[in-house]
Amino acid sequence: MSNDQEASISNIELNAQYTGSLGGAVIRHTLIFFVVMFIWEMANRTGFSNPLLLPRPTDIAASIWKIYVTQGNVWYHLWVTFQEAMLGCLIGSVIGIALAVAAVLSDSFRQFLKPYIIIVEATPRIALGPIFVTWFGFGMSSKVALAALVCFFAPFVNTITGLLGVQEESYELFRSLGATRRQVFWRLMIPTALPTMNAGLKLAVGSAFGGALVAEFISAQAGMGILMARYTMSLNMPSAFAGLLSITLYGFLLFRTMEVIDKRVLYWLDDDLMAKKSAKREIKYRQELGL
Amino acid sequence: MAEDIVISGSGLRKQFNENVIAVEDANFTIPRGSFISLVGPSGCGKSTLLRLISGLIEKSEGDLLVRSNEVVGPRSDIGMMFQKAVLLDWRTSIENVLLPDEIRGTIDTDAKKRAWDHLQLVGLKDFEFSFPRQLSGGMQQRVALARLLQTGADIMLLDEPFGALDEFTRERLNDELLRIVEGPDITTLFVTHNIQEAIYLADQVFVMTPRPGRIAAQIKIDLPTPRNIDMTTTPEFNNYVQQVRDVLSGHLDGQPL
Repeated sequence: MSNDQEASISNIELNAQYTGSLGGAVIRHTLIFFVVMFIWEMANRTGFSNPLLLPRPTDIAASIWKIYVTQGNVWYHLWVTFQEAMLGCLIGSVIGIALAVAAVLSDSFRQFLKPYIIIVEATPRIALGPIFVTWFGFGMSSKVALAALVCFFAPFVNTITGLLGVQEESYELFRSLGATRRQVFWRLMIPTALPTMNAGLKLAVGSAFGGALVAEFISAQAGMGILMARYTMSLNMPSAFAGLLSITLYGFLLFRTMEVIDKRVLYWLDDDLMAKKSAKREIKYRQELGL
Repeated sequence: MAEDIVISGSGLRKQFNENVIAVEDANFTIPRGSFISLVGPSGCGKSTLLRLISGLIEKSEGDLLVRSNEVVGPRSDIGMMFQKAVLLDWRTSIENVLLPDEIRGTIDTDAKKRAWDHLQLVGLKDFEFSFPRQLSGGMQQRVALARLLQTGADIMLLDEPFGALDEFTRERLNDELLRIVEGPDITTLFVTHNIQEAIYLADQVFVMTPRPGRIAAQIKIDLPTPRNIDMTTTPEFNNYVQQVRDVLSGHLDGQPL
């Protein structure tokens, strides 16, 4: 199973371990942050760089305060983009997984699908942005559509990889036990594929955000993309940077959330969760069996 | 009809495509309660023969009867075990053992009690709630053996079940397997490429040779039971080893391996 995971495009984690203490790492990175901020600030104040293009850190901090607190306008746009990205991600993933399942269960459908998948893969997905805006309008639907398109591919490929990774002997075991096709699918194929499928979903969630933003850049009434476009066009660079930082933070939080869910769902890949689960099940069984 | 013949084949043949004849003209009878080893080099059709009997694959020609019925597919009185334990990683040992009941819809407290007992029988006390990843290779095969017992099958088809384990673990598991399947009820077919192991375990050894896969000899092993590891150094035992070797080398001479 781990081999299949490595073979798929999902393995983008940096498997670097901290060799020193965690506290040391925090201090180190905090120090670097302040030094960079200080140099940046000083470069601006001494006229070394143009504050109009690259705003001062202190100005960015003030803008963050402004858009979140005093003006408070960012919340609405964040919410719009969040909805677009998540809805798009949901639609794209569901279609991707459904097509992948169909392609794995039917060889002839897989053959049929292949050329279309190659075409989709060869097309830079965001290039469809202007077309989607024309088709679906300036509202949320065009952003949802682009996010869905961007999200389709990773779950599709990973679901196929995961489902094809089921060992022949596992099928033989299930068949020798007289399992139905439905039992083979739900009790063997899906759980076996789940780690790879989840990795695909993680990638999809990350890219959903980008898809929605690109569509907003093209044309929109609301959302983080249009907000940032407005700020840059009016050369309000501190606010544009504040918006960028918001998006980064938002992406980071989403990714972390996905990782937490991932870990919970795939409890059998984590030593601590496995220990907890087995203790729980032991209690349940001992009660039932009166042991 | 002889009462105690559970499996019989005559003129049995399996061809995969034009060039590959996996099993050719296999004729055999397997009495109830016996332990048969199928031994031979890779590609001699021993796994194919096992899968034909299990009903996982269809024969091309000939007769194959289990309890006087033509084999048409998997049946509940036949259980299998493979070289890999084939455990479901997301289930604890006991939940893996319960898989046959779950598939047949017979899962209840009684089934769970039997699963518990089977785990004790294969020596997995205190590992009932471990996940496969927490177990060694030998322990994983013990879970697979408990799952096989849970099926209630009295015909056990074992395809190199301990082939991936180290020598010491394999010897121990072989002895435990003998202890579990001994008696008049359980009929066992054991595939291996290890001649000593084949003789040590079996009442009868089918020696198979490749291209096409044939049962070249059926050798009755008249060693006392229960077996113990000291027997492997006796002249009688070595005599059997030599017999098997002679059969294999007679057929393999001049054949590219």
